[in-house]
Amino acid sequence: MFAQSPARALRVLLALAFALATGAAAADEFLLGVEVPLSGSLARVGTGMNEGIHVAVDVFNRKSGKHKAKLIVIDDESSPAKAVAAVEKLASQGVVAISGGYGSGNIGPASDAANKAGLVYVTSGGVDEALTQRGFKTFFRINNTAGYSKAMLGLLADMDAKNVSIVYLTKEATSDLAKDVEKALVAKGVKVTMHAFDPAITDFKPIINKIKLQDKPDVIAMSGYENDYVGIIRAAKVLKPDVKAVVGVWSLATSKMQDDFPDLMGSVYGTALLPFPAEFTTPDGKDFAETYKKLYGKEPDYLGQFGYVQTQLLLEALSRAADAGTLKSGGIASEMRKTNRDTLIGKVAFDDKGDNPNFSHRMGQHQGKKVVVVWPKDLANGKMVFPGVPW
Amino acid sequence: MTDLVAQALYSGVLTGSAYALIALGLALVFGTMRIINLAHGELVLLAAYIAYTCESQLGLFPLLSIPAAIVVVCVATTLTWYVVGRIERDHELNSLLLTYGIGVMLTNGALLVWRADIRSTKSAWLQEPVVLGPLYAMRSEVLFFVVSVVLIGALWWWLTRTWAGRALRATASNRDAAMLMGIDPRRVQLVSFLVAGLLAAFAGTAIYTIGVIQPSLGISLTVKAFIITVLAGMGSVPGVLAGALLLGVTESLTTTFASSALQELAGMVLFLLVLFVRPSGLFGRRIGAV
Repeated sequence: MFAQSPARALRVLLALAFALATGAAAADEFLLGVEVPLSGSLARVGTGMNEGIHVAVDVFNRKSGKHKAKLIVIDDESSPAKAVAAVEKLASQGVVAISGGYGSGNIGPASDAANKAGLVYVTSGGVDEALTQRGFKTFFRINNTAGYSKAMLGLLADMDAKNVSIVYLTKEATSDLAKDVEKALVAKGVKVTMHAFDPAITDFKPIINKIKLQDKPDVIAMSGYENDYVGIIRAAKVLKPDVKAVVGVWSLATSKMQDDFPDLMGSVYGTALLPFPAEFTTPDGKDFAETYKKLYGKEPDYLGQFGYVQTQLLLEALSRAADAGTLKSGGIASEMRKTNRDTLIGKVAFDDKGDNPNFSHRMGQHQGKKVVVVWPKDLANGKMVFPGVPW
Repeated sequence: MTDLVAQALYSGVLTGSAYALIALGLALVFGTMRIINLAHGELVLLAAYIAYTCESQLGLFPLLSIPAAIVVVCVATTLTWYVVGRIERDHELNSLLLTYGIGVMLTNGALLVWRADIRSTKSAWLQEPVVLGPLYAMRSEVLFFVVSVVLIGALWWWLTRTWAGRALRATASNRDAAMLMGIDPRRVQLVSFLVAGLLAAFAGTAIYTIGVIQPSLGISLTVKAFIITVLAGMGSVPGVLAGALLLGVTESLTTTFASSALQELAGMVLFLLVLFVRPSGLFGRRIGAV
């Protein structure tokens, strides 16, 4: 046939070569979707996660000879409806999986849309228990409330706290954590007083005054975000309740808080994956830190670390699925489920609900210009200053 | 218990005075132009970011940034006045949409320029406690309480005792009659926008020194200011102070005796109650009076 029509044969060969070339390129380059809040109320945390995702892709593209990844990022504007629209748009653009999401209220509907589109969705931005109770085979999460409450409870036990006032934001993640900690403390015989606050609150003095005059606790525990911590600690600095420690959760034991609010951070505790200055000892950690600094010109933070790990695990699963030829036939979720390894946030393995039961956070304390990891003891790089408060 | 109540009232009054400062500009423009400037919160926020920039980049004490904030915010309010003035049909509805759009642009502009991080003053002096017996406050709160009362007094004096203020009230009361008296309503409206900008500059510096700012804060400031403006009665300056103090004290007492989680609900219940008993607001007997 070719001999009879050389021109036609050439055309067929060219078409075949083009098809093979584009097919090979598609197999080698993963199109990865990122749905994160880059504007709106969650812009700061979403931006932090997005940076970690980009670092993971940069490291992957440098290290992986066979596969490459390319990102399509869509800002969900901190809105559930726009998060769903973002996922649907990413699906229509042909992404093979999605990394991102912040806020359980946004992640819920967004991961639902991803599940309907048959896309794996991996996140570290939502700790609501309901997210992993939906029976989705495509949903994965590397952190959870249990890991945060384990860390806070461990620290409070080390302090031998007998009376704790918990001040918590009425959002899902923050109130879930506060109630988890309350339940565990009450079971241990610790006296606990709960103080819920609305996101719109600007003056925490009435709450701190109640704590000072009525609760008289050993420790003030906070479950909120940076702006809440600043308001609570400022009010406490004015009223000076007689407590031994101030303990918070995410976004508190960071170098950024030390830089921005040095007068408020003295001896304050919060969850911290790493001490500051960061001490990355593993090759993976050093690679992450160097790439982060190269891309963003600053020290990496915990948001970047979580974004990095979730995307790193996803890219590894994508590679394995591509090698097995199951990329388009549900192989990514199966490969994600096979994950079982140490990462920058500790050991990660997913259960059948997509949750990471190994997750346990660490607690850090602001000491001078440093953040020292003080719990658990086997990972600590210093001793806690106790009692100690910022006033 | 007495200490608890006293502190709640004191905190409520201080918070209320900051609310009054935020609401004053919105009330003024609403009273004179019947325009609900939905970008007002973002203008206040713009002033707050100017204070942040002056402190973090130039090392200026936040209060010294007020002149710079006045200039920047007044330029922004002048532009707002100009584009609002271009609306020819359905002025009230279209100005709502337009100012909302300006607010969205300002929020995203703040996000681009100052990023999403939270900001607040680093001045230890402003955060020092001021103790009056059993009552505690930050120095910045007491300072801006005084500023707020002085500005409200000055605004009231200006509106009732000066020619420009009377012209503004006349325009608000009856635009056609004011024009017959030789008053240029466009010019009067520009003046009201500029005064609102000046007040927003003080309000922005206040929220930067008392609390924490971030780009998404603007809309909640607008909502708070709007509630106070309606509580006060359309455009009433003394009403703004009364409404803001009432709201601040209600929120503070709710936090003390119930839960902070209910403070926004308490504020809305108060709002509905006042409107139910006095549909024209606390000081709104003469609708249209400033």
